[in-house]
Amino acid sequence: MSVTFEYIHKAFDEVQGQPKYVLKDVNLKIKTGEFICVLGKSGCGKSTLLNLLAGYLKPDKGRILVDGEKVDGPSAQRGVVFQQHALFPWYTVKENIEFGLKLQKREDTEAVAAKYISLIGLEGCENAYPAELSGGMAQRVGIARALVNDPQVLLMDEPLGALDAMTRDSMRKEIIRIWQISGKTIFFITHSVPEAVYLADRVVLLKAGQVAMDKTIDLPRPREIRSAAFSEYVDFFSEGLTESESGEETIIAE
Amino acid sequence: MEKIEAPSIHDALSQSQFVLEEMCAEEIVVPRKISEERKAKADIFYKTVSLFLFFCIWQFISYMNELSQWFNPVFLPSPTMVVQTGYEYFVDGTLFNHIGMSFYRMIVGFAIGVVIAFILGILISTSRDVDNIVSPILNMVGPIPVFAFLPMFLIWFGIGEASKIALIAYATFVPLITYIIDGIKNTDPVLIRSARSLGATQRQVFTKVILNSAMPHIFAGMKISLALTFSALVVAEMMGASSGLGYIIVNAKNWFKMSDMFLAATLIGLEYTIFYGVLTLVEKRLFRWKKAGSDKAIEN
Repeated sequence: MSVTFEYIHKAFDEVQGQPKYVLKDVNLKIKTGEFICVLGKSGCGKSTLLNLLAGYLKPDKGRILVDGEKVDGPSAQRGVVFQQHALFPWYTVKENIEFGLKLQKREDTEAVAAKYISLIGLEGCENAYPAELSGGMAQRVGIARALVNDPQVLLMDEPLGALDAMTRDSMRKEIIRIWQISGKTIFFITHSVPEAVYLADRVVLLKAGQVAMDKTIDLPRPREIRSAAFSEYVDFFSEGLTESESGEETIIAE
Repeated sequence: MEKIEAPSIHDALSQSQFVLEEMCAEEIVVPRKISEERKAKADIFYKTVSLFLFFCIWQFISYMNELSQWFNPVFLPSPTMVVQTGYEYFVDGTLFNHIGMSFYRMIVGFAIGVVIAFILGILISTSRDVDNIVSPILNMVGPIPVFAFLPMFLIWFGIGEASKIALIAYATFVPLITYIIDGIKNTDPVLIRSARSLGATQRQVFTKVILNSAMPHIFAGMKISLALTFSALVVAEMMGASSGLGYIIVNAKNWFKMSDMFLAATLIGLEYTIFYGVLTLVEKRLFRWKKAGSDKAIEN
């Protein structure tokens, strides 16, 4: 479903009596089924943006609408995948995936859980505890756990950040596959430019709490990382990222 | 036909005479898990031997003492004399009465202490108002040694069971509540967030996430309070009781019956060990999901 950020301001701190905005006047419209990547360096406010959409934080000004309804607190309609999988360590893989279904007291819990376990290819690991899983496996369980609730939007906060390069590569393909099967709207946070260009329909570059770039990626899927067009996009956003750096420097110099 | 390849630097290294000897020694490989099991068996064996030796040395010293009169033999009865005393108690039918009374007081006091600590701990860690009202009082009264309260408890609750059980419950409650509050407050916020995003209500977050996460802390707290529970048991029985293991000790003191004192002390130790063992077993079953501890950090 569509997501709209309107005039979002968020501050945690004060500087000389004035709120120090982490996010300042962010406006964003996300269409239904769109895969959007928010790109930015650490500290640019991208995680704050996700936390606001998830409902963990409340904006100081402005509002967020999901399918026309204002976001007010967390909800099962907005599934979240965390950087550190955040699985419940006392539940097995199966119990973690069933968590959302059991809360709804659904009767087809077993069947739905089994379906998602096979979707992420973890048959045979149903009774393992998260401590026994590798990083990639745990992250796949985290994605399945968010998907079973059939959320309108899937929020992913650097879900591949803690994985090794090879696992990350296969997980990107996995996410694209899951997205294509399920047709969800995905709001994906990353600091890796190639990752954003590879995954997203549209990349939003966040710089010092404001939207600096907002561009649709016009490449057919599956995308070829070594193609010239791909590199062009990567260069384009990389420049955007470093530009913000030199911009900050000039401010400091003045 | 074998192809002859030029030896690489690795081949040269592994074939050098310095490395050769070590490489040739064909070691029998014992998988880690199996060697761990063997070590665990050996551990039990050594622990049993240690206990056995302890009693042997004790027996030996009191035997030698009886022969050569280093000090008054009454001061240190031998293990066999203690066992004999135990048998006498058994024959006149009071042994199980004493053990049972102590066990009953301990288990009831412990249970009441745990339940109160649990309820109050949850209230303090979830409600700011309760925290503000109760915590300062707890912080002031808590550090006062439990046994300072015994005379007051005797006056308030009488010399019957109530005063003893109240003291034992209080001794359990005081250390435990800190662990419960700590456990609840130490819940990983990311887990709370993820539960809420999966559709859990505040209440469900508490029962399914916070309690589960706090349980290991609470169990650690219960094991630590157990030592104080037993101290309170013995002290309570020493003052104003007519049965129980603590009573045996005080009563034996009046009649200078050293064997009886040793018997009661041993039985208290045994009861504590059994109870601690049960708690450890329950803990192991409940927290199978926990990661291996520090002794598994590096193989040796």
